[in-house]
Amino acid sequence: MTINLTINGKAEAVDADPAMPILWVVREKLGLNGTKFGCGIAQCGACTVHLDGKPIRSCSTPLSAADGAAITTIEGVGGADQDTDLTPLQQAWISEQVPQCGYCQSGQIMQATALLKETPQPSDDQIDAAMKGNVCRCGMYGRIRQAIKVAAGTAEPTVWEEQA
Amino acid sequence: MNDMSDTPAVEAKETPAKPERSRAAKWSRRGFIGAGVLAGGALIVGVGIRSGNPVGKLKPLVANGDGEALINAWVKIGADNLVTAIVPHCEMGQGANSTIAQMLADEMDVDWDNVAVMDAPADGNYVSQHTVRTFIGAGTIPDQPGQASFMEPTYDGLFTQVGKLAGAYITGGSSSVRTTGQNGIRVAGAAAREMLVAAAAAEWDVPAGEITTASGTLTHAPSGKSALYAEFASAAAEQELPRAPTTKTIDQFKLMGRPAPRKDIPLKVNGTAVFGIDGGSDLPGLRYAAVKAAPVVGAEVASMDASAAKEMPGVLQILNMGDFVAVVADSYWQAQQALGTIETAYTDSENSDASTDAMFASFTQALDDAGDTGGNDKADYGDATGALKDAAKAVTAEYKVPYLAHAAMEPINCTAWVRDGKCDIWTSTQVPLMARDGAAEGAGISADDVTMHTVFLGGGFGRRLTPEYTNQAARLAKATGYPIKMIWSREEDTAQDFYRPADISRFSGGLDEAGKCISWNNVHCSDDEPGEAPLIEFYDIPNVLVRGAEVHNPLRLGAWRSVAHSQHGFFIESFVDELAHEAGRDPVEFRRELLAKSPRHLAVLEGAAKMANWGSALPEGHGRGIAIARSFNSIVAEVAEVDMTADKPRITKVHCCADAGYVMNPNGFAAQMESGIIYGLTAAMYDEITIKDGRVEQSNFHDYRMMRMEDAPEIAVQIINGAPDNLGGAGEPGLPPAAPALTNAIFAASGKRIRELPVAKHFT
Amino acid sequence: MNKISAILALSSTALLLVSCGESASPDPVEQIVVADPGEGASAAADTDDVTLADAAGMMEEGRKAFAVCSSCHSVEKGEASSIGPNLYGVVGRKAGSMDDFKYSEAMTGSGLTWDEGTLDTYLANPSAMVPGTTMMAGAVRDEDKRAAIIVYLASESD
Repeated sequence: MTINLTINGKAEAVDADPAMPILWVVREKLGLNGTKFGCGIAQCGACTVHLDGKPIRSCSTPLSAADGAAITTIEGVGGADQDTDLTPLQQAWISEQVPQCGYCQSGQIMQATALLKETPQPSDDQIDAAMKGNVCRCGMYGRIRQAIKVAAGTAEPTVWEEQA
Repeated sequence: MNDMSDTPAVEAKETPAKPERSRAAKWSRRGFIGAGVLAGGALIVGVGIRSGNPVGKLKPLVANGDGEALINAWVKIGADNLVTAIVPHCEMGQGANSTIAQMLADEMDVDWDNVAVMDAPADGNYVSQHTVRTFIGAGTIPDQPGQASFMEPTYDGLFTQVGKLAGAYITGGSSSVRTTGQNGIRVAGAAAREMLVAAAAAEWDVPAGEITTASGTLTHAPSGKSALYAEFASAAAEQELPRAPTTKTIDQFKLMGRPAPRKDIPLKVNGTAVFGIDGGSDLPGLRYAAVKAAPVVGAEVASMDASAAKEMPGVLQILNMGDFVAVVADSYWQAQQALGTIETAYTDSENSDASTDAMFASFTQALDDAGDTGGNDKADYGDATGALKDAAKAVTAEYKVPYLAHAAMEPINCTAWVRDGKCDIWTSTQVPLMARDGAAEGAGISADDVTMHTVFLGGGFGRRLTPEYTNQAARLAKATGYPIKMIWSREEDTAQDFYRPADISRFSGGLDEAGKCISWNNVHCSDDEPGEAPLIEFYDIPNVLVRGAEVHNPLRLGAWRSVAHSQHGFFIESFVDELAHEAGRDPVEFRRELLAKSPRHLAVLEGAAKMANWGSALPEGHGRGIAIARSFNSIVAEVAEVDMTADKPRITKVHCCADAGYVMNPNGFAAQMESGIIYGLTAAMYDEITIKDGRVEQSNFHDYRMMRMEDAPEIAVQIINGAPDNLGGAGEPGLPPAAPALTNAIFAASGKRIRELPVAKHFT
Repeated sequence: MNKISAILALSSTALLLVSCGESASPDPVEQIVVADPGEGASAAADTDDVTLADAAGMMEEGRKAFAVCSSCHSVEKGEASSIGPNLYGVVGRKAGSMDDFKYSEAMTGSGLTWDEGTLDTYLANPSAMVPGTTMMAGAVRDEDKRAAIIVYLASESD
């Protein structure tokens, strides 16, 4: 069956089982590997993408849900050049040195991007509520929180001390 | 967040716990070079343990363009003057490769923007002997009776058989920076710089001593001559090797000790980082495999009924591989769906009836049998049992911890392409050479015919030290004829781990009239890796007996972040806290007295207490707990603060003070402390792997919980550079104090003493 | 002992957990080659059977089964909605009626009131009952599990 959707701004006709989770469509059919498989049952958030602007767990969302809809993945969250056209949130992610292993980070960034779109200056409680579905096994929650606040303009960027 | 002292404190004054530990000293920089690398004429600095010059063989692997000259195996200078650090460790989040590049850049006088990092190829010539030697030096040695554990054969066995198996390209033991970095890359960098200077001196016909280096440029001020390193790269390779290159002293550091931004982070933020699961995705004809192994250790597949699976869309092949079943399909999801319909019967094994209760009952029996003095001695000085009889007060306690899974975010996976007697492998592994051998065995070819492709690891934590999954993927690729991307489900990853051992540990301790601890007697079940984990020589207790009892484990065991320190940190620091309480003493005061002869420990303890403003008032129902542990040559103390006013504990803050000798990247180090703390607290609060009918009962993150944003405490990290010539690790040492700091805080807040983890069990 | 079993032995012999004597055969014991990738049969259902003794047991089963839902839905009274709406008191509630959650138009316009029957239908296949719902994860195919979750949700109310 053919599903017509928009992926990172580009129209695509995807020929696949409509029950196939969007995660595997994105990775295997569309060749976009930034979105990660973590648990398969919407427990960890590593697979978070935007469906018509809303964060969803793509491992548990069937392709049929994307019929006529727009999907945004980590590859499309910034500007035209994926490597360098970063959003302020992504830049904050770098300046705060958030990732360790990095595997959950696409999902974290997609979730946080949606949060800031909805709530440009989230409180700690709002950050908790929005981000609690995204597991970071390396435990970088403090840095994720700080990066969100830096991007939101509610916290100053961390200055790492320059001492030897 | 970091508060680094300006001047490092005096050198380590502590006596090594055991004479074996001093073996590491033999591998000092000079000793290493003297050991034959440079004397043997090899151009590789730091890895050329083997005779012969491996540069010719390695060159094609690391020189990937014209105009590049190989100065040594760990340093490459490109025509564009870009210096590449070639690092024999895997990047799994610990940031060590970036830190090692930082060390190289500093030694070579190259700017941070002009340095790149490259993982060393999985080739036997890159074997990380430093890592192996340090492990052995640290106490895991073959002639230590009763020390058998999974790592000993891994490291020692491989060390002694390295010529045959060549499997020690290892990332583990919090060792990369302090071994490869400190003893390898810095020497390599210094040597490379000296060789460049020598080449320029010869060409310009000026004294080498008049040439200065900065920002990748050689300058001879008197003559006004100047050149980029790249111009002299080839000539440098012809220079005589420096016998003992001069590395920088701390006052000369420009990048070391600084929070240089990690090289890998931009790739992980823009989504371009390639992890194991992403590798080989564009292979022509790639197919996907879902697998399920026999769920009981020792059992095999007796039969499978695949009648439903055969009919399912996208399914190409269904295989009973003896130890596991697999479905190969056009998409992973189709393979997974079909696998779920296969009915499988398994053979019985000795573990088929295993249960958590029976396992712990057998542990208890083993401890009963060991009694007050039985079991394998791990430490015995003074007269612990005699002193206990004389004590004014005797204190006993028993602690229990469960099996734990690693639960790295990236489930185990491997992509294998077998054709024409060759095999290509993409996988996340901490041991590329062992993983290569696993694939070679599976494909039925020689390891030399297997190419490992370097990828980022979506977490390691000790899980990726085994080669069984490359073996699986290669077998499937060979049997089916397709390039295969095999991905374990989260359920498979949880059920087929190599688990952190469960353990029970019993203590009896004696206090004298003044409330000082004079006797310490401990017996526990786990094999200890590293062997120092249950030892407490840094505490000034005159009579100590530490013993291990042998037990049978119905699960496969493995290295789990901080290994045996993860259990013994909890045991030791819980019991010390109980002793303090029984002595009527403040937990910090009590430890301070016991650490009187261990100045670095004492400074760390006091640092953490000061950070937490120990002793100041807290709201009703809140409490503080402290714990200290030494692991992987780093000393870390943590103070946890908990709020017990709700129906379950809430951890509000963790203060962490650490002395890792000298920290090369304070921000990266702080991140590792934060990470170790959250990893430790996650396990302490929530997790256990339990067994029923020989099978693991947990399956995914709903029943094996991860700490989440809303549960995570604020963490502050302070660094003491207490021994600049004696570096400690970063990836693991933050973990061991976390659990006891938490449970001690719960006790302080509520009077409830948690002696069995996880904590959540006590608050349902 | 061949090479791979030697390696496996090296990594775990001391714990005597990997049987070295019988190393896994590299070749399949049984290999079914499905020549034509077929069309047809749809996804297999989750067939975990849940045996329920009584209502209390059912509620407990429901609580456990709900763990999968809890990454998106809170059932704590007064807690903010997150990825999904807070479900405290959902049984008896009008669909799409939590103020702090941005529902799909499909949900707010559904006219549904959540009771045992509507929840059962919805959870079995959310997008079939409310096409356009943003809850795309969380279909509970197993009938008994579904019933247990509904009993549990019913218990989480004033």
